[in-house]
Amino acid sequence: MLESLLYFAQQLLNGLTMGSTYALIAIGYTMVYGIIGMINFAHGEIYMIGTYISFIAIAGLMMLGITWLPLLLLLALLIAVVIASTFGWAVERVAYRPLRGGNRLIPLISAIGMSIVLQNYVALGQNNRDVAMPQLIQGGWILGSDHGFDVSLSYMQLLIFVTTLICMGLLTLFIAKSKTGRACRAVAQDLKMASLLGIDTNRIISMTFVIGAALAAVAGLLLGLYYGVANPFIGFIAGLKAFTAAVLGGIGSIPGAMLGGLILGIAESMTAAYLSTEYKDVVSFGLLVVILLFRPTGLMGKPEVEKI
Amino acid sequence: MKRINKTLLGLGISAALLSAATVHADTLKIALAGPVTGDVAQYGDMQNIGAMMAIEQINKAGGVNGMQLEGIVFDDSCDPKQAVQVANKVVNAGIKFVVGHLCSSSTQPASDIYEDEGILMITAASTSPEITARGHKMIFRTIGLDSHQGPTAGNYIADTLKPKRMAVIHDKQQYGEGIATAVKDTVTGKGVNVVLFEGISKGDKDFSALIAKLQKENVDFVYYGGYHPELGLLLRQSLEKGFNVKFMGPEGVGNSDLSSIAGQAAENLLVTLPPSFDTREENQTLVNAFKAKGQDPSGAFVLTAYSAVQVMADAINASKTTDTQKLQQTLREMAFKTPTGTIEFDAKGDLKSFDFVIYQWHQDGSKTQLK
Repeated sequence: MLESLLYFAQQLLNGLTMGSTYALIAIGYTMVYGIIGMINFAHGEIYMIGTYISFIAIAGLMMLGITWLPLLLLLALLIAVVIASTFGWAVERVAYRPLRGGNRLIPLISAIGMSIVLQNYVALGQNNRDVAMPQLIQGGWILGSDHGFDVSLSYMQLLIFVTTLICMGLLTLFIAKSKTGRACRAVAQDLKMASLLGIDTNRIISMTFVIGAALAAVAGLLLGLYYGVANPFIGFIAGLKAFTAAVLGGIGSIPGAMLGGLILGIAESMTAAYLSTEYKDVVSFGLLVVILLFRPTGLMGKPEVEKI
Repeated sequence: MKRINKTLLGLGISAALLSAATVHADTLKIALAGPVTGDVAQYGDMQNIGAMMAIEQINKAGGVNGMQLEGIVFDDSCDPKQAVQVANKVVNAGIKFVVGHLCSSSTQPASDIYEDEGILMITAASTSPEITARGHKMIFRTIGLDSHQGPTAGNYIADTLKPKRMAVIHDKQQYGEGIATAVKDTVTGKGVNVVLFEGISKGDKDFSALIAKLQKENVDFVYYGGYHPELGLLLRQSLEKGFNVKFMGPEGVGNSDLSSIAGQAAENLLVTLPPSFDTREENQTLVNAFKAKGQDPSGAFVLTAYSAVQVMADAINASKTTDTQKLQQTLREMAFKTPTGTIEFDAKGDLKSFDFVIYQWHQDGSKTQLK
């Protein structure tokens, strides 16, 4: 009895970690959508670039003799965030801004193009094999044990979960309280009106992409450390899962992205636990269809009045 | 008038293309098809260095029937769709000989095209039995089959390792699921208790849910059918979670990339591979030729690819023709002495005998023979 309870707890923990990783990437999707009403399909690629840069940064910093883990990770994070943000800014500048004001579908296509360009750019520059990194953060706690079955929580899992919570909290505060955050909300409500009232909308939109990219870089570093492997194509699946999480939670809503990610993660691990690993994707995407049938705006999304 | 012009133009172009193909009648082109990019590109390298070495040495010795061989590399990324495109490219380029493809799921669709177009194909790596089970005439291989490899692995598990609760995991691909099923059938036939038989998805990164399940089922041995990117992560995360049991995999997992992904967890892995032909005494001259070029002859498919090129050349020399219909008969009739032993093909195009060997894998990418 206790053993099956512990098993459930372990799978819940696994699902929460997996879900946090989806949520971290999903926030970037949801922010861009909330503000300019467009899906940034190049977001998964920014995450992938974030992973590569953190690998390179960690290797470089270690060569310089920095081995104290907190400092190493902090510096790597800083480098990854700065460079990935530049990429995020460039994506907006190249693939979105020249097309703003036109048909909504056109930037969507250009973003897909951008995603293919970035994927192949990394594949050419870094060669497209798996790169691996040794484990930096090892160990964890054993939370309970019965009949030889241990419930364990690794430090890495906790780090991912906590970082996601912190990022989401900071972002929500930023949007709700700061002056720039207010400008963001104004731009989200009505772009033209906001610009008439003296808000530099171009700057706000650029900033949205930069923040989204910075979060993707955080995810890139954390997941890079967690899995220890990267290749130029990891952005696609990660982006797809995160996008699903964002839609599930209600695209445009930041707590919704978190909720959507967690639900997706838990659904996947529970399917693997009690049904079969084969059905993981069937269940998680089936869930998406069902939720959208009953709540077309997602769990926490607000019904949107079509702006004409 | 306009239409006639177009027809003329079309004729002109095809004539130009045809002549381009026939100008170099003194070279014989061999297509080397396999992944040059993608996450299993390492196997493509193994095949290509082996085949290129064979081509170079045959050319040095005077070529075949007075013709020089030329190897042309095609990249299928181990993707079935791209493999079909590669096959069509080979057809359009007028090439009649193919060494490849690597992944069974690529070889299968491509081989249909080669068969229809009368192109002679020898794969040095695809082990799925289905490839030669369809009555094709043009399709050969210089490696064993999963239906041999599976029982080799299964018998070793049942007779030597004797696990009490075993799990079989695969990646739902033609190769992975095929070999996993073969192993499962062998071990259950010998009374081993297989408590779990499950598929994961290619490209999965997080196996924590699966590992918890394996722990709960008290699994004490895992067989994995598939390739190294997924198994590497599975091994790494298993060790991290304290799930410290032995794993075993087919030749698709045994390369140095696995060690770099799995790190010290690679010590938990057993692999069935073609025997290390490169350690045989009669092959040392050849091995040194590889080493002189800075290439590694120990990869599982290096010498099988070398043999593939060599049997093609020997068959052409023996029958004094490049007509592939005649050559496929010659291939089935003759015995060829190659670095991978004496090769004889059966009616299906498979080797009459080929043994797989079991190795213990190591963290630094090296291996020790167990049986």
